[in-house]
Amino acid sequence: MYNNVVSAVFNTFMNSNISSLRFNFRAVGRSTGTHSSGRGELSDVKGCIDYLISNKKVEKVFICGYSYGAAIGCSTVNHSEKVIGYASISFPWDFIGPKYKKLSQTNKPKIFLQGDQDNVANFNNFQSHYDFYEEPKEFKIINGADHFYGGYERQAAEEVFKFFQTII
Amino acid sequence: MINLFMGDIEVFFIENNDIQLEAEYYESTSDKSSAILICHPHPQFLGI
Repeated sequence: MYNNVVSAVFNTFMNSNISSLRFNFRAVGRSTGTHSSGRGELSDVKGCIDYLISNKKVEKVFICGYSYGAAIGCSTVNHSEKVIGYASISFPWDFIGPKYKKLSQTNKPKIFLQGDQDNVANFNNFQSHYDFYEEPKEFKIINGADHFYGGYERQAAEEVFKFFQTII
Repeated sequence: MINLFMGDIEVFFIENNDIQLEAEYYESTSDKSSAILICHPHPQFLGI
């Protein structure tokens, strides 16, 4: 369940008394099932959205995903009208293929965080990918951060939280 | 489903299409109407 970026976001929201859910995809940690190259993982996120709405009676779900979690998580933005937008941290467009770029297209508010030293979610290609998305949208470049955000995870989490406050 | 609590964090499994997803949830003590859902990177993706 531990990842430095996810934990920074989770802790930032929890410390601000915002309800926060994080989970392991199928076949990760104690989650059951097998890795299914994206299809099943999309279902995993949708299941979590449905759980928040049905079991926790949440009216507004804000999605945040990091790396693979950005590609999959942000691609469920149109699953429910109760999903109000997303924060994408280092969306790996060049690795994961065009499917998730199309699925994450939305007219809901969204922010894209990107490290300027990232050569996985390649910074040099960021602007062209960002231009694909409809308004409303924002981006934030984290200077000095590579794909793993060592030492920059708290800054990234604070940017996600600031954006959340503007749309809630 | 067994729910455990670690401090203010609820640890449990979300059932979805015969899959059990390990989850952790912090519930706000004030506004329960909104929540953030955070998606991890995948360990099989680029070794993260």
